[in-house]
Amino acid sequence: MKFIRIILLIFSLSLTSCYKENIEPLPKPVVDIFSVSEVSVSDSDQLSFNMEKEGSFILKIQDHNTGQILSKEKINLIAGNNSVKIYTKSLPVGVLYLILDDLNKNEVKRTKIIIK
Amino acid sequence: MRNLFVSILLLLASGVYGQQVNAPEAKSFVLSTSGQDASGFSLSGFNSTSTLLCAIGLPVSPSGTTFYMTTTTGLTPASGYTLSGNKTRLAFTGTMSNINAALATLKINTTATSGNVQISVSATVNPTGYFYNPSNGHFYRPISAGATYPNAKTLSSQQTFKGQQGYLVTITSSDEDGFIFTNVPQNQIWFALTDEVVEGQWRIDAGPENGTLIKTSNGQTAGNVVGQYNNWAGGEPNNSGNEDYAVTKWNGSQWNDLPANFSNPYVVEFGTWTNPDDQTFTEFYSNSVNHSNGNVLRAQFVYDFGANVNETLFRTKMFTNHQGIVQGSGDYAALNSLGKIDMTPNIDQNKINDGYKSSISAGQVEYSYVNISNGVTTLYIDLSTFGSVSPSTIKRVSILDCYDGPVTYQQTSTYWAHYIIPSTLTKVTDGSSSFNANIRNAGYNNWAFSCSIGFTQNQIFKPHFSDIKYYGSSYSGLYSSIVTVGDVYLAFKQLSDNGIFGNSNVWFTTPVQFANADVDSSGAFNEQDCFILLQHLLGQSTIWNSSNELTSMIKLIKKSDYDAITSNNWQDYRFTSGSYYLPSIVDNQLNSYNVAVTWKGDVNLSHSALPTGVSQPNSSGNKQEIGIQSMAVRTNSSTGDVIADIWMEIKDGMVEVTISVDPGQNQIGATQFIVKFDNSILDHNKTEFSNKNDINFSRKESSLINVGTLNTNGNPISNLGYKIVFKSKSDLKNILGLVSVESIETIGTDSKQLKVKVQ
Repeated sequence: MKFIRIILLIFSLSLTSCYKENIEPLPKPVVDIFSVSEVSVSDSDQLSFNMEKEGSFILKIQDHNTGQILSKEKINLIAGNNSVKIYTKSLPVGVLYLILDDLNKNEVKRTKIIIK
Repeated sequence: MRNLFVSILLLLASGVYGQQVNAPEAKSFVLSTSGQDASGFSLSGFNSTSTLLCAIGLPVSPSGTTFYMTTTTGLTPASGYTLSGNKTRLAFTGTMSNINAALATLKINTTATSGNVQISVSATVNPTGYFYNPSNGHFYRPISAGATYPNAKTLSSQQTFKGQQGYLVTITSSDEDGFIFTNVPQNQIWFALTDEVVEGQWRIDAGPENGTLIKTSNGQTAGNVVGQYNNWAGGEPNNSGNEDYAVTKWNGSQWNDLPANFSNPYVVEFGTWTNPDDQTFTEFYSNSVNHSNGNVLRAQFVYDFGANVNETLFRTKMFTNHQGIVQGSGDYAALNSLGKIDMTPNIDQNKINDGYKSSISAGQVEYSYVNISNGVTTLYIDLSTFGSVSPSTIKRVSILDCYDGPVTYQQTSTYWAHYIIPSTLTKVTDGSSSFNANIRNAGYNNWAFSCSIGFTQNQIFKPHFSDIKYYGSSYSGLYSSIVTVGDVYLAFKQLSDNGIFGNSNVWFTTPVQFANADVDSSGAFNEQDCFILLQHLLGQSTIWNSSNELTSMIKLIKKSDYDAITSNNWQDYRFTSGSYYLPSIVDNQLNSYNVAVTWKGDVNLSHSALPTGVSQPNSSGNKQEIGIQSMAVRTNSSTGDVIADIWMEIKDGMVEVTISVDPGQNQIGATQFIVKFDNSILDHNKTEFSNKNDINFSRKESSLINVGTLNTNGNPISNLGYKIVFKSKSDLKNILGLVSVESIETIGTDSKQLKVKVQ
């Protein structure tokens, strides 16, 4: 039994000595959809974005060419990272704006989304 | 009854013409001739001060065909190009006016090989911060902010440019390496190359070549894979300190390996735009023309759908119809975004006999003469030359080098067979014929030919017809966009003021509208048509035949005939022949067919070709899947606009879409909203109307709800509002994009389309 313990000790020491000190794992970058100028989206994609403060906002989709509001909903957001699902089957193919307004209709954030 | 309708859609919404490239008509070039005119391309709709990136190419042409421009003032060649000399492709930048001046001097140099000569021209606003490499058609965006290799790779893949997804730049040629070295200002730039999996085995790490092994061991040249591009600095890669990722522009123009956590600039690559006709990137505008070099059989169609239809959703195929047998080969082929398609491959080359051709060649006896008078050319052929051939079977004739074409048999007299030739035969009369010695001016407008006469069987192509099909999501969606409340309103207005009260033809601006409004194809536009249109709007019936939808709705008309439709002959263009077009194909020539497309019920011609000279103010060039668009929508408020407020929310497990309309100072006579929804998640439950006094309609078609209100006595509509309720098939946390308003049409009682601001 003592022999087995010694073997295990040697084995674990050898494992430790073989450990390679790798570069510190890099955090996966958090992509804020409003931090990029345009992005392709597909049906049921989760759109992530950061908010400085919590509250109720209006999330709307606007046609790039005509300026027409296509879809709009009220949404409650938290301070920090938020995630919203987008459905694209009823949206036209092409370039659209995703716009976040406050309840006073002041624009807070905007980006281009591309529906393919 | 006078009050039946007192308003009309006049389509006065201001037209916003989009950027576009205009192409000339197809033509035939002369073989082996330099400097032939190839002008006719032009750009329009671009901001006059914008710098544009433009490309000219010859994607299809006989080997050796080149082009050049004699004026290049104000143009700057793209990297790797010069403006002078003969080209097969050229990319450059300049303003619209400078580019148009250059395009007007476009010349073609042809070879002795006959065939198609396709010229393509594309243009886009020259993007700031992006560099275009014409040699591979890729764009490059340098990012000066440092990032680790993994972050640079991830962030690159999350970028898009003109509809193309980016990737961390790959370097696969010295040309590309040199392009980056020259154009990207940063140094020590990450590019997508790694040996993180197996030390020393360097593989491309992104883009189209992802995974390609280019090097099998470390060291400047050791293990470099033949055929793959490597450009390592001396002693590199050396994996000093575990370096698994590559940078370029290291101590000059070469590569080095570095650890991942270095913070380096990087470049995002987007591709590909090589052929000017490529539709790879959005916001690129292109057009092309298919010329011919020499006499080449071609069948080129241009379908004119007007402004609001996505032509690429239509496909066409050519068939033959001979002796009751219909034959066709190959698949239906899609039109391009300009409605063009070359159907030459669809031509059945097996010809059939069609009478005889008479060949009048140089000889000793005056067996033939022509009389040219009063604008009529009559050909006479001696009856003694016909042998067993019946004179009435002659369909074509060739006369020396003066004519080769069709003739029409008239009669036979004692000695002569008479034919009418559709030509004035100038070579006969002006002495320019090479056979002038065989032509005698016999006086009294007669010219006699010393000739011999031969007869051969005349062969023609079988009768062909082209058929067109729609490949969009649904016919009902298509027709919902084409026949709207505006068409119904306009039809009733025309009926009340013209049909019933007999006033002058004040509401339809072109007779084509009568043909489209005659939805029962009776040959008369009357109250029955208006009733059918109203029934269609209300969803109580359809104006198309459900078993043969497109054929019952579409009409293809030769453009010159379409332009010539009058109030006296529009009845000849009823919706009976549908999606078929009958081209006349002549051998050894470029057969071009300009086809006007028009739709039953499209009274306001919003989705139909416009006759030449008729303007259609509601076009915006914004094409969507089924070709519909809001025709009167503003981004910014303007005094006098109708205000529409659209709200979507989840309520008690249902999705409610509320549309409220504030007419402001306007008097609304009719309005229609097309609401699109994801029918895989939602079921339409009900529609509620705020208005209780007028004709309200809510028509569900697949994934569309047509909702609107129509007033039939000329009074303004008040209290306009709709609540469309959907039942969800699953638990929803949010509904972004699940329902969208696709089109709005609002007409005032003062006969004008109203602007709507959606908020």
